[in-house]
Amino acid sequence: MARLTLERVSFWYPAMGRPALRDVSLAAAPGEVIALVGNVGAGASTLLLVAADLAPRVVGGKIEGRVNFRGRGKGEGGRGIVLPTPWTQLSGMAFTVWDEVAFGPANLGWPRERIAGAVDRSLAALDIGTLAARDPATLSGGELQRVVVAGIVAMEPALLLLDEPTAELDPEGAGLVWRLVRALAGDGCSIVVATSDLDALPEVADRVVWMEDGVVRRIGAPALLAEESVCEAGLATTVADVWRTARLGAPYPLTVAQAERRWRQ
Amino acid sequence: MTGGRLHPFTLLAIAGTLPALAWILPAPAGGAVTTAVALVLTLTPGASPGLAGTGSSPGWRPGLVVLRTAVLTAAPFWLFLLLLHDVPSTIAIGLRLTTMIASVVWVGALLPPGRLVEAMVAAGWGVTAAYLFAAALSAVPLLKARAQRIVDAQRCRGLSPRGGLGRRLRALRALALPLVLSVLHEVDERALALETRGFVPGARRTPLAPPRDATAERVGRWLLLVGCAAALAWRLAWRG
Repeated sequence: MARLTLERVSFWYPAMGRPALRDVSLAAAPGEVIALVGNVGAGASTLLLVAADLAPRVVGGKIEGRVNFRGRGKGEGGRGIVLPTPWTQLSGMAFTVWDEVAFGPANLGWPRERIAGAVDRSLAALDIGTLAARDPATLSGGELQRVVVAGIVAMEPALLLLDEPTAELDPEGAGLVWRLVRALAGDGCSIVVATSDLDALPEVADRVVWMEDGVVRRIGAPALLAEESVCEAGLATTVADVWRTARLGAPYPLTVAQAERRWRQ
Repeated sequence: MTGGRLHPFTLLAIAGTLPALAWILPAPAGGAVTTAVALVLTLTPGASPGLAGTGSSPGWRPGLVVLRTAVLTAAPFWLFLLLLHDVPSTIAIGLRLTTMIASVVWVGALLPPGRLVEAMVAAGWGVTAAYLFAAALSAVPLLKARAQRIVDAQRCRGLSPRGGLGRRLRALRALALPLVLSVLHEVDERALALETRGFVPGARRTPLAPPRDATAERVGRWLLLVGCAAALAWRLAWRG
């Protein structure tokens, strides 16, 4: 049974004649990681807002089609979204990182002991336990990104929506976030992530959704990122792109390991 | 008991009562007493928590910094009063203003905003009211940091904030416009972020570290209020 289902969804932002999403259908199962890829304006961020029940309810605009979410309203057992600009996602009500991460769980009315456990686990998962006493206003972009992700993860959502979660992170931090994504999926959380970190997807995503101009062009396994049409759109992994540029012949390998095997053959 | 351990509402009650009494009680004696009390409070251990323990005499050295801040803030007011009034009026008004300034500086140094927010939530205030207060306080360092980034960016493009008045005004415009526009632009995203983190009107928020509110302190706050009311009544009824 799918946790999130979008059926022929179209969405228009306020005062826009052209839809940002057109006839999009997608289903996310429990424990599944779906990656949305596409160029700027493809509609991936909008799809996340719709899936998070923020568009049109908070954003405004008009929607057609059906969005069905099997879970609670928000947070615990609900849906959480990480937006691409971490500096706009600070609560403004917390004066330490620990309190910032605890902001969401506290709003859910959890007992303090449970909040403390969830916050400590979340800080440890993002490797930011040492920042717990810091003022969020003094953090670097990468630290802030981890704190924002930790704040959502601490709410134990059943559906996690991530919009460019590694944009501010160095490779080590990005690797940490991707490992966390797989771990959460292993616990049954459904995850939909819009990202341009294409090289990470073969290891992270169960399915890849290629979007273009608000429309779903293709849905498939991560191997999709090595197909000719995706390469032409500039959405292939680096290895696939290099292999193709060198005219080493299709099918293109996705990862370094695959390329090595192909090369030895 | 040091000021730092008092409940936030008690600290606010004290900081509110002193200026009220300064204006209610007859000048200059009333103002002199409240000013003395307010200035002594700035020396209490625990004032300026960010500086605690950094000096050779923890407890006093930070207090001296708070006292100096209060005095330096009040000094220009005395100067202007002296230019506008005679000496008795300057003393009367100056003492009252100094009480106000010292009280605000004292409570500002002593009370971490987060603690006050926790107290508000624990006391059953709506999350919206607590948010308005906390967000206003936490916005200051964020806006300062952003303003600095904008200044740096404008400098990279050749704008100099130094020089004559005209040049400084141009630099100010180049700072203010992007700062205001970027803040306005972020309002929507911040609303989305708050929404997804369960911050909605009517949310039953758990106070994370509610300050202890002893019965004695609650009684003390009422006594301060009653004291102010009594002083006002005395002043109106018997002294005109």
